[in-house]
Amino acid sequence: MIFNSWDYYLLFLIPSAILCRLASPERRPWVIFLSGGLFFTYFSYTQLGGVAGAACLAIFLWESLVSRFYKPSSWVCWFGVTQTVLFLVLFKYRNFLTGIVWRDAAHNPLYWRNAFLPLGISFFTFEFVHYAVDRYKNRTEEGSVTEYLAFILFFPTMVAGPIKRYQDFLPKLRSISREWVIDWQRGFTRILTGLVKKFAVADVLTAYTNHLNATDIGRAYRPILLLWLFAYGIKIYADFSAYSDIAIGSARLFGIRVPENFDWPYLRANITDFWRHWHMSLTNWLIDYIYIPLGGSRRASGQVYANILVTFLVSGIWHGAGVNFIVWGLLHGVMLVVRRMWRRIRPLPPGPPPVWSQLGSWFLTYVGVSLAWAFFCMDVHTALYFFRRLLLG
Amino acid sequence: MNILEWLKHAFEYVGGAQDEPPAGFLIGLGHWWFWAVWWAAMALAIYVFSGQSSKFIYIDF
Repeated sequence: MIFNSWDYYLLFLIPSAILCRLASPERRPWVIFLSGGLFFTYFSYTQLGGVAGAACLAIFLWESLVSRFYKPSSWVCWFGVTQTVLFLVLFKYRNFLTGIVWRDAAHNPLYWRNAFLPLGISFFTFEFVHYAVDRYKNRTEEGSVTEYLAFILFFPTMVAGPIKRYQDFLPKLRSISREWVIDWQRGFTRILTGLVKKFAVADVLTAYTNHLNATDIGRAYRPILLLWLFAYGIKIYADFSAYSDIAIGSARLFGIRVPENFDWPYLRANITDFWRHWHMSLTNWLIDYIYIPLGGSRRASGQVYANILVTFLVSGIWHGAGVNFIVWGLLHGVMLVVRRMWRRIRPLPPGPPPVWSQLGSWFLTYVGVSLAWAFFCMDVHTALYFFRRLLLG
Repeated sequence: MNILEWLKHAFEYVGGAQDEPPAGFLIGLGHWWFWAVWWAAMALAIYVFSGQSSKFIYIDF
């Protein structure tokens, strides 16, 4: 409820964007850092975690301090990666992981009853890890501490991406666009488009997707089940691409362009292409910081398949603390592996494929992705019940 | 550019994701009346459908 609240636009976005554009290059990082700090504190305090949530601003300040010791080939970079992952595990997975040992929360001595998540922790984790690893490999300059704080506290992308890269952000911060009129015209158009997608498409589909629970699945006329699940696929796309539209449009008001996140993913004719166009900033991060370090595609086939599965296992775990998200991630990994195997058996002939082949491939991809959403929006038992009802009645 | 690519570009342009319209698209950024009507239509849609909102799915809380 941040991007669809008046507070966001009137208290934060418009004043901060104007100040940022009017500020001198030396003061600009301070404007972004301070407005981001206020944004984090305000929305954490009012919407999650209360005082404790707002106090998590300390994570950013601590990270900015530790980041000053990140040097090429320094062990401190790995310390930074480790502490970042530990923050995520502590806040997001603590109850899930301890629940594996102590099934009953009442008997779990480590159960955190008033658990909350620091605002945007799943996303700022990626940016912290990226900076530490890229400093270790000397792929990015250090920048000043205020520039780094501006990077991690840039509020349009802080909560849910798109996931930025420091070496891409820094030149834009130092030399923001001066084309006020076109930036604001395009930025506001993008924000309005996002809000229309959210309110008129995603939220409208909630009426259908709310039925994806065991009780309604048990009562439903079978073909309706597919309709509900396909509605969820459209809803999650409309919802998250709407969010990305608003984030990208908001950044544009500052005169800063951030990466795109979606490029018509449901029109893609194979699962590899789907992932190249769905949540692109996440896919690129997973490729650069998980898949390639594992060896990427430059290994024997079996190792490549394992790398793909591990990468999508990480993706699944990141998406949520639940077994269903692990199953969802692995399902996508398996689909990618199957496609890769298929292409080894039957390489693409030269020239564009015939239309019927493209349509068939698109249909398979769309249906595969849509069915996999069952494990994203329902727990494993409910999702299996869904498929049992769908297939067996 | 085939018709599908042209349509994609046109949608992205009116949605604010592209700065330049596709070749042959008659509305430029200077056609203020078009953008005024378009913004008003989007604002109306937001107003009509608002009030039922749920949180964004990917936000952590």
